[in-house]
Amino acid sequence: MDPTFEPIIKVEDYTFYYPDSQVPALAGINLTVRPGEFLGLTGPTGAGKTTLALALNGIIPHFQGGRLAGRVTIAGLDTAATPCARLAGVIGSVFQDPEAQLVAETVEDELAFGLENLAVPREEMRARISAALEMVGITDLRHRPLRQLSGGQKQKVAIAAAIALRPRILVLDEPTSELDPRGSLEIVNLLERLNRDYGMTILLIEQKISLLAPRVPRLVCLHQSRIVADAAPRQVLGQEKLVAELGLEVPPVTDLFRLLSRAGVYHGNLPLAVDQGRRELDRLLSHESP
Amino acid sequence: MIRAEAIEFTYPNGFRALQGLDFHIKAGEFVALIGENGAGKTTLLKLLGGLLKPTAGRLLVGGLDTARVRAVELARRVGFLFQNPDHQLFLPTVREELAFGPKNLGLKGQALEERVAEAAAAVGLTPYLEVNPRQLSKGQRQRVALASILAMEPEVLVLDEPTTGQDYREALEIMTIVQKLHRQGHTVLCVTHDMEMVARFADRALVLGAGELLLDGPLATVFAREDILAATGLLPPQAVQLARPYWEAGLLPGVLTVEELYEAIITALRGEKDARQVLPA
Amino acid sequence: MPARSFLHELNPLTKIAWSLAVITVAFVFQQPLPLLGLWASVLAVALAGKVLKEILPAIRGLLIFAAIFILFQIFLIQEGNTVFTLLPGSGFGRVTDVGLTACTMLALRMLAMTSTIPVLLATTPPKDMIVAFVEKLRVPYVYALMLVTSLRFIPTLQEELGLIIQAQRARACDLESRNIFRRLRAIVPLALPLLLMSVQRARTMAISMETRGFGAGPRTSLRTSTFQTLDLGVIAGCLFLTAALVIIALR
Repeated sequence: MDPTFEPIIKVEDYTFYYPDSQVPALAGINLTVRPGEFLGLTGPTGAGKTTLALALNGIIPHFQGGRLAGRVTIAGLDTAATPCARLAGVIGSVFQDPEAQLVAETVEDELAFGLENLAVPREEMRARISAALEMVGITDLRHRPLRQLSGGQKQKVAIAAAIALRPRILVLDEPTSELDPRGSLEIVNLLERLNRDYGMTILLIEQKISLLAPRVPRLVCLHQSRIVADAAPRQVLGQEKLVAELGLEVPPVTDLFRLLSRAGVYHGNLPLAVDQGRRELDRLLSHESP
Repeated sequence: MIRAEAIEFTYPNGFRALQGLDFHIKAGEFVALIGENGAGKTTLLKLLGGLLKPTAGRLLVGGLDTARVRAVELARRVGFLFQNPDHQLFLPTVREELAFGPKNLGLKGQALEERVAEAAAAVGLTPYLEVNPRQLSKGQRQRVALASILAMEPEVLVLDEPTTGQDYREALEIMTIVQKLHRQGHTVLCVTHDMEMVARFADRALVLGAGELLLDGPLATVFAREDILAATGLLPPQAVQLARPYWEAGLLPGVLTVEELYEAIITALRGEKDARQVLPA
Repeated sequence: MPARSFLHELNPLTKIAWSLAVITVAFVFQQPLPLLGLWASVLAVALAGKVLKEILPAIRGLLIFAAIFILFQIFLIQEGNTVFTLLPGSGFGRVTDVGLTACTMLALRMLAMTSTIPVLLATTPPKDMIVAFVEKLRVPYVYALMLVTSLRFIPTLQEELGLIIQAQRARACDLESRNIFRRLRAIVPLALPLLLMSVQRARTMAISMETRGFGAGPRTSLRTSTFQTLDLGVIAGCLFLTAALVIIALR
């Protein structure tokens, strides 16, 4: 079998309890992700999304203790047996708070931080920093102090800092939650581009389904520590009982066509974005109205 | 209730955050304050809270000049709810947290207990009065923070991105509580990035961009100006975006929400009578 | 972009050497006039380095501190001739010529010694400080990083504190009371949320560092700490001047 078709993330029967907790944060998780996938992960707060992200990048069990069963394999490496530093070159992580995850004064130093930790020689370091800034589209920010940047720019720096380590996977835990609409849109568009143009495997944890649904081919829903859905966003959002139980946001355009199909007026696929919705609405109104 | 007269604010470093705003919010309105980060929303909130004083112009809340009145006096009139409840919660139980504000206003004994009980009931936290706020979820903590403000019975509620960092259900819950309070007579000014929530809950919007008031009016008027909204990084709600070409062509009426658009489409397709029948209860 | 000058070019350790030289000289002189000259020289260096304007707020703070110091000390020294008395007849608040000279001397000494610190901070990127400490002084990287990271968080904490103040004020928490006890009590609703949020932040930062290979073992560094001819010249100059001034002062 072609090795590129081997799963790049493999979570097998994974259960995790935080110390002193009787309730599992993750219970019997099974998840397989292939190289180059763009995966959305959503679910209510407390469902276990962040815990899953920490299990993937090795923070669990190396930094955060607790009881666990099962196995997480990232690009063939068992995360429990591989030190975080080794995993850093394979899986990059971006977190919610743009402020707290950055450690340096300037953009260049921020990108250098991980490379210095992994003892990358100085000349290669410069080249890798340039390449990462270019990929993220923030070459002009290279020498800027971080405190002068907007929240959205800081998140881009965090993404560039992860990319500089040349990981094959990026895991982002609600990177847009503190950004305004423009900043949020820029981040999801950037991720879409990184996935499309560079084949990067991306796992995006996100509450804003209107941003997520039109961009990811596959949406995984966590609820009460378990995976309760794993399918195309259209299929997931079509399950009314599930949507109601999880209290998921349904993009208004999808919601509209759900109402229309329930009324027997519309029979096609549920649109996930406004432009799709406009096409369907055009067809619907031009077809039926006199 | 809130009157801004040509207020300007320039930070000591020379940055002009607000360049002469004029607006008037009447008692009982539900106004959304929208605009991208850095547009001046936070500065305006700080002026409203008396934390900063306008460098020019006047800002009156309930007849009080925010630049002159003591913060404690202002707190009786204006309740502030912030993005992150962790900025204010510090006591070991929800009950103490709710009693903190009214106690500062001098309430004691029976009257204090009543205030606490009422506030807890208003946000649905009565069963949690003896719980440590830190053991609650972020959405619940946000409700504790809201109740701690309500316990002081302010006339005006100023909410700074009250749904940030919460899931959709929690966000809806907090906004529904705010809606209920609005219907009971509170004046509400809510800063938010969520246009769907604006369409669903507010009556009027103030749009800020680069320190200027770009738009001020009923939602339908504001959301019709896609060009101006774009200048401050905003898109109208999806229902408005969808209906726009048909509305401009005179095929559909102006709408704000999915429900309204749905009704309009059914009416266009089948006539008015049928539309009522297929509408969801 | 901050102003560039010869001060910015110097190795951080050279600037620390200059600081130490100023401190040494400040200690050996006992008269107000030479100390005033020394303080003026520090400000002159700041001016030449194009950072005088930038450090003025810090200098103002130090001046206020010096003034308070004089006010507290001046009535304690009762030797010498009376210059003036605050409450004539009562004997209270007598200010003597000896007290005046001693206090001015001590205040100027303190000013000269502390004024180098803002100059140092304004002309040295923290990252350069880490590199200099680690490479030249063999300070363990973790300590140097900790120092600099905590410096970086000060503006963030200030911002956070601003929000907390507003949030508590909105709950009628009296932060402006004239009563000192009430004021002290009002610290709790500010300090506790700040502390809890900082702990949360610190955890996020630790996790973020961990996912970028922190503590993996031997590391490299993008920047390097070098001593140039200018550094050697400045250090030699400082040494020579200090030695000369010490001899003059002790003669």
